[in-house]
Amino acid sequence: MKKSLLLSAAIALASTAASAETLRIPHELGYGGSESLDPISPQRFYEAIQNMYSRLVRQGDDGRPSPDLALSWDATPDAKEWTFKLRPGVTFHNGNAFTAQDVAFSLMRTQSETIDSPTKGVMEIIDRVEVVDDMTAKVVLKQTHADFPLLVMDYRIKMLDAETCGNDLDALCESGVGTGPYKLVELDALGTTTLERFDGYYGGTPGVQNMELIAIADQNARVAALQAGQVDFIYALSAEQVPLFANNPNFTVQSVPTGRWVGMVMNTTIAPFDDARVRKAIRMSADRDALGKLVYGQGGFITTCDHPVWSGDQYRADLNCDRDIEGAKALLAEAGYADGLTVELFVSDISEGAVKMAEVLQNQAKDAGITIELVQAPADGYWGDVWMKEAFFATGWSQRPADQILNEAYRSTAAWNETAWNSADFDAGLDAARGELDFDKRKALYGELQKELWENGGSFIPVHLNTVRAFSSKLSGIEPVEDFSIRYENVTKAGNEG
Amino acid sequence: MIGLILRRFGFAAFTIGFVSLIMFAAVEALPGNVCTSFLQRFAQGPRLERCIEQQGLNRPAIERYADWVGGAVQGDFGYSLKKRKPINELIGERFANTALLGGLAALLAIPLAVFLGIAAGVRRDKPLDLSLSGAAMLAMTIPEFVTATALIYVFAIVLQWFPAVTIMRSGMGFMDMLPNIVLPVLVLSAVLIAHIMRMMRASVIDVMASDYVQMARLKGVPEREIIRRHVVPNAMIPALNVIALTVAWLLAGVVVVEKVFNYPGLGTLMIQAIYDRDLPLVQAIALIFSVIYVGVNLLADLAALMIDPRLRRKGH
Repeated sequence: MKKSLLLSAAIALASTAASAETLRIPHELGYGGSESLDPISPQRFYEAIQNMYSRLVRQGDDGRPSPDLALSWDATPDAKEWTFKLRPGVTFHNGNAFTAQDVAFSLMRTQSETIDSPTKGVMEIIDRVEVVDDMTAKVVLKQTHADFPLLVMDYRIKMLDAETCGNDLDALCESGVGTGPYKLVELDALGTTTLERFDGYYGGTPGVQNMELIAIADQNARVAALQAGQVDFIYALSAEQVPLFANNPNFTVQSVPTGRWVGMVMNTTIAPFDDARVRKAIRMSADRDALGKLVYGQGGFITTCDHPVWSGDQYRADLNCDRDIEGAKALLAEAGYADGLTVELFVSDISEGAVKMAEVLQNQAKDAGITIELVQAPADGYWGDVWMKEAFFATGWSQRPADQILNEAYRSTAAWNETAWNSADFDAGLDAARGELDFDKRKALYGELQKELWENGGSFIPVHLNTVRAFSSKLSGIEPVEDFSIRYENVTKAGNEG
Repeated sequence: MIGLILRRFGFAAFTIGFVSLIMFAAVEALPGNVCTSFLQRFAQGPRLERCIEQQGLNRPAIERYADWVGGAVQGDFGYSLKKRKPINELIGERFANTALLGGLAALLAIPLAVFLGIAAGVRRDKPLDLSLSGAAMLAMTIPEFVTATALIYVFAIVLQWFPAVTIMRSGMGFMDMLPNIVLPVLVLSAVLIAHIMRMMRASVIDVMASDYVQMARLKGVPEREIIRRHVVPNAMIPALNVIALTVAWLLAGVVVVEKVFNYPGLGTLMIQAIYDRDLPLVQAIALIFSVIYVGVNLLADLAALMIDPRLRRKGH
């Protein structure tokens, strides 16, 4: 206790003098100070767990799984049993060896009823984990899944030390002991959380000695802090904030595509949206590029054809969805709305740009004879009172791999099937893709599903959002990848300018 | 005299009770509840029911209000679901931080404003008065977040004399906090000084024109003595109420200023709590603010009683 006090006092003193040895990253205080060091907790402290723990597999440059704590893996032909060969000689921050026992522990606890993790739904596919030997774990699934490694690539599926966690599958484990490049010095979610480089990290010694995760809840305050040199990095700049850093040699601005999307949802079982022609007419009336520029600014988006698979995903299908007013009018006439159609769209300030997007769509759809009346709902209680209750409403999703988002949002039995999409063929397609071990064939199957959503689906997904970050030009080694994949251990920081 | 004071106290207590009722009712009237805001998209089915059960939201509102007031009177504000901590623990340290900020601002601003107000009033329409009044007008019309942003730009980003935002580290003492407090205190004091000074000036001018000051002058009492003995005490009485109102304004100003400077006080906690719809915490902080507001006004009343014997008579 005393030692940690002395240590943090020393760090505080040294922070200005030796700032080249400290990477200072702000965190948004998204959980208001209840941030948890358990990676599967609903309040997971993302900026900390990202650096303290490691996954079995990580995202490779091509979007496909690449080795991390697992060096290789293979599956039985029915894709139901997956054997992971682990990296030998890896130790946790406390000196314990990383073994297959820890893999079994870390995977099975995601299913705990008590912890009630957001990862539970996806990880319930695991039936059991067998420890073949210290360096080999066999995961047995309840059903076929040819892309199981993608599921354990999730940024929350980190490997914990079973012993430190007391082997208790039902308890939160907030010790912070992992195998990652940085180890915990002090947790202070409302103030400054301090990490220190882990010399035993299997990926080589991290580039910067200390890391500070600094609580700044307000984005404008974060911008001021970066300008004043109090932090080195900020996430998620808005379009208006980019010019503050764009032409300044002291800062680097990076824009990278992500899988986040905001969209408008038509319930496919409620008239007039129960007619696929009406749905497609509304979607065809949109000029996606113009919409993206108006709502998210130049360089703030990548256009998409109404399916949720983002540009960095290995299964993304490239479709053509140019605006087609004549086609939209023809479809409407066919559906019996030759004289035009009037619908209500419920929208609220729930996700970045949701209201603006609805307004732009309203204007663009007018040209096809579609009148959209916007109903502004309060953001408070939106997810309970409006979302999935009205016939036409706004939504927003964070990034998920193709298989996961297609299953979570479009399988007929999914809890968040917001378009009420009920297609036996689609469900069968999802199962077929999961069972196909050949990559090219699997990609073709996922491609068909995306095409089906563009032809007949109920989601209007005009763009996937880019994220723009700014950081001090003293930092190098920040790859232009999405936030979850930044490897801070590879970042180095140049000395003070004095 | 004692009865009068007790009556003022009773009235203050009644006001606070009434405010607590209004606050509770307003929070009740909002769409959604603690559970729907905490669970967001997961707010459905058994998970929602379990949360409602745990939070006791299925009980009637009157019962919950009685519980809350009962706890608050004993100094227990309950538990924050969102922050996983007892509210008392959350508020304690932050209250001290806000008191430090507001206290320093008031300590700096009030004596300075009173002094400047007297100086301006005595030298009415002279260059000193004109420049002070002009500066006060400017300080009053610019919103504090604009002043704050301008100060950050000049002193934190360009000159780098002070930090732009407060970064809390464990083991920080008063001396470590000091550089962080300078800019927020300046912003708050500027508005405080402007308001109080203008009132003080007007009030001094009024008194200077009064018959008894003229009389004293005719009797040959030195000007210094007139100001000290007759003008300042009489001019203080109307100014006291303005000081009380302005200190109460400080509470609102503190919320804005704390947010801009990322200062870890009650204001930022309040904004976070509202954002998170952490209703028990919002209620607790709002109640604390209203107690301070009523308390400051009560103090001003009592101080006025002390300065002005006329108010002590029955019927006032």
